[in-house]
Amino acid sequence: MSGTLLLQSSLVGLTNGFVYALIGLGIAVVFRGTRIINAMQGEFSLVGGLFAFLVLERLGLPMFVAFPLGVLVGAGLGFVIERVFVRPARRRGASEESYLLLTLGLAFAISAAVLYFFGRDSIALAGIGGEGSVVFFDAALRVHAIWLIVISCAVMVLLKLFYARTLIGQSIVAASLDEAGAATVGINVPLMHSLTFLLGGLVGGLAGVLVSPMIAVHYEMGLLLTLKGFAAAILGGLANPFGAIVGGITIGLIESLAVLTVSSGYKDVIAMAILIVIMILMPHGMLGYGRRKGG
Amino acid sequence: MLEIENLEAGYGGLPILKGVSLRIGRNESVAIIGANGAGKSTLVQAICGLIPATSGRIVQQGREIHHLPAHERAQRGIAVVLEGRRLFGELTVRQNLMLALAHGMRRGADQQIFSLERILELFAFMSGRLDARVELLSGGEQQMVAIARALLLQPEVLIMDEPSTGLAPKVVRDIVEVIERLRAGGMSVILVEQNVAIAAQTSERAYVMSLGKLVYEIAPGGWDDFRNNEALVRAYLGGQ
Repeated sequence: MSGTLLLQSSLVGLTNGFVYALIGLGIAVVFRGTRIINAMQGEFSLVGGLFAFLVLERLGLPMFVAFPLGVLVGAGLGFVIERVFVRPARRRGASEESYLLLTLGLAFAISAAVLYFFGRDSIALAGIGGEGSVVFFDAALRVHAIWLIVISCAVMVLLKLFYARTLIGQSIVAASLDEAGAATVGINVPLMHSLTFLLGGLVGGLAGVLVSPMIAVHYEMGLLLTLKGFAAAILGGLANPFGAIVGGITIGLIESLAVLTVSSGYKDVIAMAILIVIMILMPHGMLGYGRRKGG
Repeated sequence: MLEIENLEAGYGGLPILKGVSLRIGRNESVAIIGANGAGKSTLVQAICGLIPATSGRIVQQGREIHHLPAHERAQRGIAVVLEGRRLFGELTVRQNLMLALAHGMRRGADQQIFSLERILELFAFMSGRLDARVELLSGGEQQMVAIARALLLQPEVLIMDEPSTGLAPKVVRDIVEVIERLRAGGMSVILVEQNVAIAAQTSERAYVMSLGKLVYEIAPGGWDDFRNNEALVRAYLGGQ
Protein backbone atom coordinates (compact mmCIF):
# COMPACT_ATOMS: atom_id res chain seq x y z
CA MET A 1 0.00 0.00 0.00
CA SER A 2 1.54 3.30 -1.08
CA GLY A 3 1.65 6.38 1.11
CA THR A 4 -0.30 8.35 -1.51
CA LEU A 5 -3.08 5.77 -1.52
CA LEU A 6 -3.24 5.88 2.26
CA LEU A 7 -3.36 9.69 2.22
CA GLN A 8 -6.02 9.72 -0.51
CA SER A 9 -8.07 7.22 1.43
CA SER A 10 -7.68 9.27 4.63
CA LEU A 11 -8.83 12.45 2.90
CA VAL A 12 -11.91 10.67 1.56
CA GLY A 13 -12.55 9.30 5.05
CA LEU A 14 -12.09 12.74 6.58
CA THR A 15 -14.54 14.29 4.13
CA ASN A 16 -17.15 11.57 4.71
CA GLY A 17 -16.50 11.92 8.43
CA PHE A 18 -17.40 15.58 8.35
CA VAL A 19 -20.59 14.72 6.44
CA TYR A 20 -21.59 12.30 9.22
CA ALA A 21 -20.41 14.83 11.80
CA LEU A 22 -22.69 17.57 10.51
CA ILE A 23 -25.71 15.27 10.66
CA GLY A 24 -24.64 14.01 14.07
CA LEU A 25 -24.15 17.59 15.22
CA GLY A 26 -27.78 18.34 14.33
CA ILE A 27 -28.98 15.23 16.18
CA ALA A 28 -26.93 16.21 19.22
CA VAL A 29 -28.21 19.81 19.10
CA VAL A 30 -31.82 18.61 19.18
CA PHE A 31 -31.04 16.09 21.92
CA ARG A 32 -29.18 18.67 24.02
CA GLY A 33 -32.11 21.07 23.84
CA THR A 34 -35.07 18.72 24.15
CA ARG A 35 -33.78 15.24 25.14
CA ILE A 36 -35.50 14.01 21.97
CA ILE A 37 -33.69 11.61 19.63
CA ASN A 38 -34.58 13.13 16.28
CA ALA A 39 -34.82 10.40 13.66
CA MET A 40 -35.60 12.89 10.90
CA GLN A 41 -32.39 14.94 11.09
CA GLY A 42 -31.35 13.66 7.65
CA GLU A 43 -34.66 14.88 6.20
CA PHE A 44 -33.77 18.46 7.16
CA SER A 45 -30.70 17.94 4.98
CA LEU A 46 -32.70 16.32 2.20
CA VAL A 47 -35.19 19.20 2.09
CA GLY A 48 -32.48 21.87 2.45
CA GLY A 49 -30.41 20.29 -0.35
CA LEU A 50 -33.43 19.89 -2.62
CA PHE A 51 -34.54 23.47 -2.08
CA ALA A 52 -31.04 24.75 -2.85
CA PHE A 53 -31.10 22.64 -6.03
CA LEU A 54 -34.46 24.10 -7.11
CA VAL A 55 -33.29 27.65 -6.51
CA LEU A 56 -29.95 27.05 -8.20
CA GLU A 57 -30.97 24.93 -11.17
CA ARG A 58 -34.63 25.72 -11.80
CA LEU A 59 -34.70 29.42 -10.86
CA GLY A 60 -31.16 30.02 -12.03
CA LEU A 61 -30.22 32.07 -8.99
CA PRO A 62 -26.57 32.11 -7.88
CA MET A 63 -25.09 29.75 -5.32
CA PHE A 64 -24.68 32.47 -2.67
CA VAL A 65 -28.47 32.88 -2.74
CA ALA A 66 -29.42 29.21 -3.17
CA PHE A 67 -27.27 27.79 -0.38
CA PRO A 68 -28.43 30.21 2.38
CA LEU A 69 -32.05 29.69 1.27
CA GLY A 70 -31.58 25.92 1.55
CA VAL A 71 -30.21 26.39 5.08
CA LEU A 72 -33.13 28.64 6.04
CA VAL A 73 -35.65 26.14 4.67
CA GLY A 74 -34.06 23.45 6.85
CA ALA A 75 -34.35 25.78 9.87
CA GLY A 76 -37.96 26.61 9.02
CA LEU A 77 -38.82 22.93 8.66
CA GLY A 78 -37.33 22.24 12.08
CA PHE A 79 -39.37 25.03 13.65
CA VAL A 80 -42.60 23.86 11.96
CA ILE A 81 -42.03 20.22 12.96
CA GLU A 82 -41.68 21.26 16.62
CA ARG A 83 -44.74 23.50 16.61
CA VAL A 84 -47.05 21.21 14.64
CA PHE A 85 -46.02 17.72 15.77
CA VAL A 86 -43.65 17.70 18.76
CA ARG A 87 -45.32 20.33 20.93
CA PRO A 88 -48.81 18.77 20.88
CA ALA A 89 -47.24 15.38 21.70
CA ARG A 90 -45.28 16.95 24.57
CA ARG A 91 -48.41 18.63 25.89
CA ARG A 92 -50.03 15.20 26.11
CA GLY A 93 -47.06 13.79 28.03
CA ALA A 94 -45.37 11.84 25.22
CA SER A 95 -42.55 9.49 26.20
CA GLU A 96 -39.06 9.34 24.67
CA GLU A 97 -40.07 6.34 22.54
CA SER A 98 -43.07 8.28 21.20
CA TYR A 99 -40.83 11.05 19.89
CA LEU A 100 -38.54 8.52 18.24
CA LEU A 101 -41.51 6.94 16.49
CA LEU A 102 -42.99 10.35 15.65
CA THR A 103 -39.80 11.65 14.01
CA LEU A 104 -39.17 8.31 12.28
CA GLY A 105 -42.69 8.44 10.84
CA LEU A 106 -42.15 12.01 9.68
CA ALA A 107 -38.85 10.96 8.08
CA PHE A 108 -40.63 8.28 6.04
CA ALA A 109 -43.40 10.73 5.14
CA ILE A 110 -40.93 13.32 3.83
CA SER A 111 -38.99 10.64 2.00
CA ALA A 112 -42.23 9.47 0.36
CA ALA A 113 -43.16 13.04 -0.57
CA VAL A 114 -39.77 13.53 -2.24
CA LEU A 115 -40.23 10.24 -4.11
CA TYR A 116 -43.67 11.39 -5.28
CA PHE A 117 -42.58 14.81 -6.50
CA PHE A 118 -39.02 14.14 -7.69
CA GLY A 119 -39.04 10.42 -8.49
CA ARG A 120 -36.23 7.91 -7.92
CA ASP A 121 -33.60 9.81 -9.86
CA SER A 122 -30.67 11.35 -8.05
CA ILE A 123 -30.14 15.07 -8.26
CA ALA A 124 -26.65 16.52 -8.46
CA LEU A 125 -26.02 19.90 -6.91
CA ALA A 126 -23.06 22.00 -8.02
CA GLY A 127 -20.38 22.36 -5.37
CA ILE A 128 -18.47 25.40 -4.16
CA GLY A 129 -15.48 25.69 -6.47
CA GLY A 130 -17.13 23.46 -9.08
CA GLU A 131 -15.21 20.25 -9.71
CA GLY A 132 -11.91 21.88 -8.79
CA SER A 133 -9.57 20.11 -6.39
CA VAL A 134 -6.42 20.74 -4.43
CA VAL A 135 -3.52 18.28 -4.52
CA PHE A 136 -1.60 17.35 -1.34
CA PHE A 137 1.38 15.07 -1.90
CA ASP A 138 -0.27 13.54 -4.99
CA ALA A 139 -3.57 13.04 -3.18
CA ALA A 140 -6.51 15.18 -4.36
CA LEU A 141 -9.22 16.84 -2.27
CA ARG A 142 -12.18 18.65 -3.82
CA VAL A 143 -12.38 22.37 -3.11
CA HIS A 144 -15.96 21.80 -2.00
CA ALA A 145 -14.76 19.21 0.53
CA ILE A 146 -12.35 21.76 1.98
CA TRP A 147 -15.23 24.21 2.35
CA LEU A 148 -17.32 21.48 3.99
CA ILE A 149 -14.57 20.81 6.54
CA VAL A 150 -13.93 24.50 7.23
CA ILE A 151 -17.63 25.35 7.58
CA SER A 152 -18.23 22.31 9.83
CA CYS A 153 -15.42 23.41 12.13
CA ALA A 154 -16.77 26.96 12.17
CA VAL A 155 -20.26 25.70 13.04
CA MET A 156 -18.83 23.64 15.87
CA VAL A 157 -16.99 26.65 17.32
CA LEU A 158 -20.04 28.90 16.92
CA LEU A 159 -22.27 26.34 18.64
CA LYS A 160 -19.80 26.02 21.49
CA LEU A 161 -19.81 29.80 21.95
CA PHE A 162 -23.60 29.88 21.60
CA TYR A 163 -24.14 27.40 24.44
CA ALA A 164 -21.38 28.77 26.67
CA ARG A 165 -21.70 32.53 26.20
CA THR A 166 -25.24 33.46 25.18
CA LEU A 167 -28.32 33.77 27.33
CA ILE A 168 -30.46 31.89 24.80
CA GLY A 169 -27.92 29.06 24.55
CA GLN A 170 -27.78 28.62 28.31
CA SER A 171 -31.55 28.93 28.58
CA ILE A 172 -31.94 26.12 26.02
CA VAL A 173 -29.60 23.91 28.05
CA ALA A 174 -31.39 24.82 31.30
CA ALA A 175 -34.80 24.05 29.79
CA SER A 176 -33.61 20.63 28.68
CA LEU A 177 -31.96 19.78 32.00
CA ASP A 178 -34.99 20.62 34.14
CA GLU A 179 -38.19 21.97 32.64
CA ALA A 180 -39.81 22.83 35.97
CA GLY A 181 -36.64 24.44 37.27
CA ALA A 182 -36.30 26.47 34.07
CA ALA A 183 -39.92 27.63 34.05
CA THR A 184 -39.62 28.82 37.65
CA VAL A 185 -36.63 31.02 36.80
CA GLY A 186 -38.64 32.71 34.05
CA ILE A 187 -37.47 30.69 31.04
CA ASN A 188 -40.11 30.13 28.36
CA VAL A 189 -39.53 26.39 28.00
CA PRO A 190 -41.76 25.75 24.93
CA LEU A 191 -40.03 28.61 23.11
CA MET A 192 -36.63 27.08 23.92
CA HIS A 193 -37.80 23.78 22.42
CA SER A 194 -38.93 25.57 19.25
CA LEU A 195 -35.58 27.34 18.99
CA THR A 196 -33.80 24.03 19.50
CA PHE A 197 -35.59 22.42 16.56
CA LEU A 198 -34.96 25.56 14.53
CA LEU A 199 -31.27 25.26 15.33
CA GLY A 200 -31.30 21.53 14.55
CA GLY A 201 -33.03 22.29 11.24
CA LEU A 202 -30.48 25.01 10.52
CA VAL A 203 -27.57 22.62 11.03
CA GLY A 204 -29.46 19.97 9.02
CA GLY A 205 -30.13 22.39 6.16
CA LEU A 206 -26.50 23.45 6.17
CA ALA A 207 -25.45 19.81 6.04
CA GLY A 208 -27.87 19.34 3.13
CA VAL A 209 -26.41 22.07 0.94
CA LEU A 210 -22.85 21.03 1.77
CA VAL A 211 -23.40 17.31 1.37
CA SER A 212 -25.58 17.34 -1.74
CA PRO A 213 -22.76 18.19 -4.16
CA MET A 214 -20.78 15.23 -2.80
CA ILE A 215 -23.44 12.53 -2.52
CA ALA A 216 -26.25 12.96 -5.02
CA VAL A 217 -29.61 13.88 -3.50
CA HIS A 218 -32.31 11.22 -3.68
CA TYR A 219 -35.42 10.39 -1.70
CA GLU A 220 -33.68 7.86 0.58
CA MET A 221 -30.76 10.13 1.40
CA GLY A 222 -32.27 11.47 4.62
CA LEU A 223 -32.66 8.14 6.38
CA LEU A 224 -29.20 6.96 5.32
CA LEU A 225 -27.63 10.16 6.58
CA THR A 226 -29.57 9.98 9.85
CA LEU A 227 -28.23 6.48 10.47
CA LYS A 228 -24.59 7.51 10.03
CA GLY A 229 -25.11 10.81 11.84
CA PHE A 230 -26.76 8.98 14.71
CA ALA A 231 -23.74 6.65 14.98
CA ALA A 232 -21.44 9.71 14.96
CA ALA A 233 -23.44 11.47 17.67
CA ILE A 234 -23.64 8.38 19.90
CA LEU A 235 -19.95 7.63 19.44
CA GLY A 236 -18.97 11.16 20.39
CA GLY A 237 -21.42 11.39 23.31
CA LEU A 238 -25.00 12.31 22.46
CA ALA A 239 -25.32 15.07 25.04
CA ASN A 240 -22.17 16.76 23.73
CA PRO A 241 -22.73 18.26 20.24
CA PHE A 242 -18.99 18.55 19.69
CA GLY A 243 -18.53 14.85 20.23
CA ALA A 244 -20.40 14.32 16.95
CA ILE A 245 -17.45 15.82 15.09
CA VAL A 246 -15.03 13.39 16.73
CA GLY A 247 -17.49 10.53 16.23
CA GLY A 248 -18.11 11.40 12.57
CA ILE A 249 -14.43 11.67 11.71
CA THR A 250 -13.72 8.38 13.49
CA ILE A 251 -16.40 6.56 11.51
CA GLY A 252 -15.33 8.15 8.23
CA LEU A 253 -11.69 7.20 8.72
CA ILE A 254 -12.48 3.64 9.83
CA GLU A 255 -14.72 3.18 6.78
CA SER A 256 -12.14 4.39 4.29
CA LEU A 257 -9.38 2.33 5.87
CA ALA A 258 -11.70 -0.69 5.71
CA VAL A 259 -12.23 -0.05 2.01
CA LEU A 260 -8.50 0.24 1.50
CA THR A 261 -7.47 -2.83 3.49
CA VAL A 262 -10.41 -5.24 3.14
CA SER A 263 -13.21 -4.44 0.71
CA SER A 264 -15.77 -1.69 0.18
CA GLY A 265 -18.54 -4.23 0.79
CA TYR A 266 -17.33 -4.73 4.37
CA LYS A 267 -16.76 -1.09 5.32
CA ASP A 268 -20.01 -0.73 7.32
CA VAL A 269 -19.51 -4.07 9.09
CA ILE A 270 -15.94 -3.21 10.11
CA ALA A 271 -16.84 0.35 11.14
CA MET A 272 -19.79 -0.79 13.25
CA ALA A 273 -17.81 -3.65 14.83
CA ILE A 274 -15.13 -1.17 15.95
CA LEU A 275 -17.83 1.21 17.21
CA ILE A 276 -19.26 -1.58 19.36
CA VAL A 277 -15.86 -2.10 20.97
CA ILE A 278 -15.44 1.65 21.56
CA MET A 279 -18.92 1.91 23.12
CA ILE A 280 -18.17 -1.00 25.47
CA LEU A 281 -14.92 0.64 26.56
CA MET A 282 -16.39 4.19 26.69
CA PRO A 283 -20.14 3.84 27.33
CA HIS A 284 -20.71 7.62 27.61
CA GLY A 285 -19.15 8.16 24.18
CA MET A 286 -15.69 9.41 23.31
CA LEU A 287 -16.35 12.92 24.67
CA GLY A 288 -19.17 12.08 27.07
CA TYR A 289 -18.59 11.94 30.80
CA GLY A 290 -20.16 10.30 33.78
CA ARG A 291 -21.28 12.61 36.55
CA ARG A 292 -22.24 12.45 40.16
CA LYS A 293 -25.13 14.22 41.75
CA GLY A 294 -24.27 16.32 44.77
CA GLY A 295 -25.87 15.22 47.98
CA MET B 1 -49.78 41.05 48.00
CA LEU B 2 -50.88 37.49 47.15
CA GLU B 3 -54.37 36.09 47.58
CA ILE B 4 -55.55 32.60 46.79
CA GLU B 5 -59.28 31.97 46.66
CA ASN B 6 -60.93 28.54 46.52
CA LEU B 7 -58.05 27.05 44.58
CA GLU B 8 -58.54 23.56 43.21
CA ALA B 9 -55.84 21.62 41.36
CA GLY B 10 -54.50 18.11 40.95
CA TYR B 11 -52.77 15.66 38.66
CA GLY B 12 -54.35 13.91 35.69
CA GLY B 13 -57.90 14.66 36.76
CA LEU B 14 -57.26 13.57 40.35
CA PRO B 15 -58.16 16.52 42.60
CA ILE B 16 -55.60 17.19 45.33
CA LEU B 17 -56.31 20.78 46.40
CA LYS B 18 -59.89 21.28 47.51
CA GLY B 19 -60.88 24.90 47.81
CA VAL B 20 -57.69 26.36 49.31
CA SER B 21 -57.87 30.03 50.31
CA LEU B 22 -55.05 32.02 51.88
CA ARG B 23 -53.41 35.39 51.73
CA ILE B 24 -50.00 36.82 52.43
CA GLY B 25 -49.31 40.50 52.88
CA ARG B 26 -46.27 42.61 52.05
CA ASN B 27 -43.26 41.90 54.30
CA GLU B 28 -45.07 38.97 55.89
CA SER B 29 -43.79 35.46 56.51
CA VAL B 30 -46.35 32.67 56.47
CA ALA B 31 -45.83 28.94 56.94
CA ILE B 32 -47.88 26.10 55.54
CA ILE B 33 -47.45 23.00 57.62
CA GLY B 34 -48.87 19.53 57.32
CA ALA B 35 -48.02 15.86 57.22
CA ASN B 36 -46.70 14.00 54.18
CA GLY B 37 -49.35 13.81 51.47
CA ALA B 38 -51.32 16.78 52.80
CA GLY B 39 -51.02 18.56 49.44
CA LYS B 40 -48.42 21.18 50.39
CA SER B 41 -46.16 20.67 47.38
CA THR B 42 -49.18 20.55 45.07
CA LEU B 43 -50.19 23.94 46.44
CA VAL B 44 -46.70 25.31 45.74
CA GLN B 45 -46.80 23.97 42.18
CA ALA B 46 -50.24 25.44 41.60
CA ILE B 47 -49.17 28.86 42.90
CA CYS B 48 -46.08 29.00 40.70
CA GLY B 49 -47.91 27.62 37.65
CA LEU B 50 -46.34 24.20 37.22
CA ILE B 51 -49.77 22.58 37.42
CA PRO B 52 -52.94 24.32 36.24
CA ALA B 53 -55.71 25.38 38.60
CA THR B 54 -58.98 23.66 37.76
CA SER B 55 -60.90 26.38 39.57
CA GLY B 56 -60.38 29.30 41.93
CA ARG B 57 -58.24 32.42 41.62
CA ILE B 58 -54.69 33.53 42.37
CA VAL B 59 -54.39 37.30 42.62
CA GLN B 60 -51.09 39.17 42.92
CA GLN B 61 -51.21 42.90 43.64
CA GLY B 62 -54.84 42.97 42.42
CA ARG B 63 -54.08 41.16 39.13
CA GLU B 64 -55.21 37.62 38.39
CA ILE B 65 -52.24 35.41 37.56
CA HIS B 66 -53.71 31.88 37.69
CA HIS B 67 -54.06 31.78 33.88
CA LEU B 68 -50.38 32.68 33.31
CA PRO B 69 -47.70 30.07 32.51
CA ALA B 70 -45.04 29.42 35.15
CA HIS B 71 -42.31 31.49 33.46
CA GLU B 72 -44.53 34.58 33.36
CA ARG B 73 -45.38 34.22 37.05
CA ALA B 74 -41.64 34.06 37.80
CA GLN B 75 -41.13 37.20 35.73
CA ARG B 76 -43.87 38.90 37.78
CA GLY B 77 -42.06 38.22 41.02
CA ILE B 78 -43.35 34.83 42.20
CA ALA B 79 -40.13 33.00 43.04
CA VAL B 80 -40.05 29.44 44.25
CA VAL B 81 -37.47 27.07 45.68
CA LEU B 82 -38.94 23.73 44.67
CA GLU B 83 -38.60 20.53 46.64
CA GLY B 84 -35.51 18.74 45.30
CA ARG B 85 -34.04 22.15 44.33
CA ARG B 86 -34.37 21.62 40.54
CA LEU B 87 -31.05 23.26 39.72
CA PHE B 88 -29.26 22.95 36.38
CA GLY B 89 -26.59 20.49 37.47
CA GLU B 90 -24.41 20.65 34.35
CA LEU B 91 -24.18 24.44 34.57
CA THR B 92 -21.97 26.34 36.97
CA VAL B 93 -23.21 28.19 40.03
CA ARG B 94 -22.64 31.48 38.21
CA GLN B 95 -24.62 30.33 35.17
CA ASN B 96 -27.52 29.16 37.36
CA LEU B 97 -27.59 32.53 39.10
CA MET B 98 -27.20 34.64 35.97
CA LEU B 99 -30.09 32.86 34.26
CA ALA B 100 -32.38 33.95 37.08
CA LEU B 101 -31.00 37.47 37.02
CA ALA B 102 -31.56 37.70 33.26
CA HIS B 103 -35.04 36.20 33.14
CA GLY B 104 -36.41 37.51 36.42
CA MET B 105 -38.65 40.41 37.27
CA ARG B 106 -37.75 43.53 35.33
CA ARG B 107 -36.77 46.32 37.70
CA GLY B 108 -34.66 49.39 37.19
CA ALA B 109 -31.06 49.09 38.40
CA ASP B 110 -31.87 51.34 41.37
CA GLN B 111 -34.86 49.16 42.32
CA GLN B 112 -33.00 45.87 42.13
CA ILE B 113 -33.24 44.17 45.51
CA PHE B 114 -30.67 41.44 44.94
CA SER B 115 -27.50 41.79 42.92
CA LEU B 116 -24.86 39.10 42.54
CA GLU B 117 -22.72 41.04 45.04
CA ARG B 118 -25.51 41.05 47.61
CA ILE B 119 -26.04 37.32 47.08
CA LEU B 120 -22.35 36.67 47.70
CA GLU B 121 -22.61 38.63 50.97
CA LEU B 122 -25.60 36.52 52.00
CA PHE B 123 -24.01 33.20 50.95
CA ALA B 124 -20.29 33.71 51.54
CA PHE B 125 -19.26 30.17 50.47
CA MET B 126 -20.37 30.88 46.90
CA SER B 127 -17.55 33.34 46.21
CA GLY B 128 -15.11 30.48 45.84
CA ARG B 129 -17.53 28.18 44.03
CA LEU B 130 -19.03 30.40 41.35
CA ASP B 131 -17.40 28.50 38.52
CA ALA B 132 -18.02 25.03 39.96
CA ARG B 133 -20.61 22.81 38.30
CA VAL B 134 -23.67 22.70 40.54
CA GLU B 135 -23.91 18.90 40.43
CA LEU B 136 -20.56 18.73 42.20
CA LEU B 137 -21.75 20.72 45.24
CA SER B 138 -23.04 19.15 48.45
CA GLY B 139 -26.78 19.01 49.11
CA GLY B 140 -26.59 21.93 51.55
CA GLU B 141 -24.63 24.07 49.11
CA GLN B 142 -27.10 23.22 46.37
CA GLN B 143 -29.96 24.32 48.59
CA MET B 144 -28.24 27.66 49.14
CA VAL B 145 -27.76 28.06 45.38
CA ALA B 146 -31.45 27.29 44.86
CA ILE B 147 -32.43 30.00 47.37
CA ALA B 148 -29.95 32.46 45.83
CA ARG B 149 -31.28 31.73 42.35
CA ALA B 150 -34.82 32.43 43.50
CA LEU B 151 -33.74 35.69 45.13
CA LEU B 152 -32.09 36.90 41.92
CA LEU B 153 -35.51 36.82 40.27
CA GLN B 154 -36.10 39.98 42.38
CA PRO B 155 -39.22 38.41 43.88
CA GLU B 156 -42.18 40.04 45.54
CA VAL B 157 -42.99 36.70 47.15
CA LEU B 158 -40.52 33.89 47.88
CA ILE B 159 -42.01 30.41 48.25
CA MET B 160 -39.85 27.66 49.72
CA ASP B 161 -40.94 24.03 49.61
CA GLU B 162 -39.37 21.96 52.40
CA PRO B 163 -35.98 23.70 52.27
CA SER B 164 -34.66 21.73 55.25
CA THR B 165 -35.51 18.23 54.05
CA GLY B 166 -32.62 15.78 54.00
CA LEU B 167 -30.01 18.28 55.20
CA ALA B 168 -27.62 18.13 58.15
CA PRO B 169 -28.66 20.09 61.29
CA LYS B 170 -25.85 22.63 60.77
CA VAL B 171 -27.03 23.31 57.20
CA VAL B 172 -30.64 23.60 58.40
CA ARG B 173 -29.51 26.21 60.96
CA ASP B 174 -27.78 28.14 58.18
CA ILE B 175 -30.92 28.06 56.05
CA VAL B 176 -33.08 29.21 58.97
CA GLU B 177 -30.65 32.08 59.49
CA VAL B 178 -30.95 33.07 55.84
CA ILE B 179 -34.75 33.00 56.02
CA GLU B 180 -34.67 35.13 59.17
CA ARG B 181 -32.41 37.65 57.44
CA LEU B 182 -34.71 37.78 54.41
CA ARG B 183 -37.68 38.25 56.69
CA ALA B 184 -35.90 41.03 58.57
CA GLY B 185 -35.16 42.61 55.20
CA GLY B 186 -38.87 42.82 54.40
CA MET B 187 -39.25 39.89 52.01
CA SER B 188 -42.66 38.19 51.82
CA VAL B 189 -42.03 34.49 52.40
CA ILE B 190 -44.27 31.44 52.14
CA LEU B 191 -42.51 28.55 53.85
CA VAL B 192 -43.85 25.05 53.29
CA GLU B 193 -42.53 22.82 56.07
CA GLN B 194 -43.15 19.57 57.87
CA ASN B 195 -40.93 20.66 60.71
CA VAL B 196 -43.06 22.79 63.05
CA ALA B 197 -40.06 24.08 64.99
CA ILE B 198 -38.49 25.58 61.86
CA ALA B 199 -41.83 26.97 60.71
CA ALA B 200 -42.43 28.62 64.11
CA GLN B 201 -38.92 30.08 64.17
CA THR B 202 -39.22 31.70 60.76
CA SER B 203 -42.90 32.57 60.31
CA GLU B 204 -45.30 34.93 62.06
CA ARG B 205 -48.37 32.89 61.31
CA ALA B 206 -49.26 29.64 59.57
CA TYR B 207 -51.88 27.50 57.92
CA VAL B 208 -52.21 23.80 58.72
CA MET B 209 -52.95 21.66 55.69
CA SER B 210 -54.56 18.25 55.66
CA LEU B 211 -55.96 16.19 52.76
CA GLY B 212 -55.81 19.10 50.34
CA LYS B 213 -57.52 21.64 52.60
CA LEU B 214 -56.33 24.34 54.96
CA VAL B 215 -57.90 23.13 58.17
CA TYR B 216 -56.48 25.45 60.79
CA GLU B 217 -54.91 28.91 60.94
CA ILE B 218 -52.25 29.83 63.46
CA ALA B 219 -52.49 33.54 64.16
CA PRO B 220 -49.49 35.75 65.05
CA GLY B 221 -48.41 34.81 68.55
CA GLY B 222 -50.39 31.56 68.40
CA TRP B 223 -47.55 29.11 67.84
CA ASP B 224 -47.27 28.07 71.50
CA ASP B 225 -51.01 27.45 71.80
CA PHE B 226 -50.89 25.27 68.71
CA ARG B 227 -47.85 23.29 69.80
CA ASN B 228 -49.32 22.74 73.27
CA ASN B 229 -52.53 21.37 71.79
CA GLU B 230 -51.49 17.74 71.51
CA ALA B 231 -54.72 16.54 69.96
CA LEU B 232 -54.50 19.11 67.20
CA VAL B 233 -50.86 18.40 66.46
CA ARG B 234 -51.46 14.64 66.42
CA ALA B 235 -54.53 14.99 64.20
CA TYR B 236 -52.88 17.09 61.54
CA LEU B 237 -49.15 16.53 61.80
CA GLY B 238 -48.92 12.95 62.98
CA GLY B 239 -47.83 13.79 66.51
CA GLN B 240 -44.74 16.03 65.99
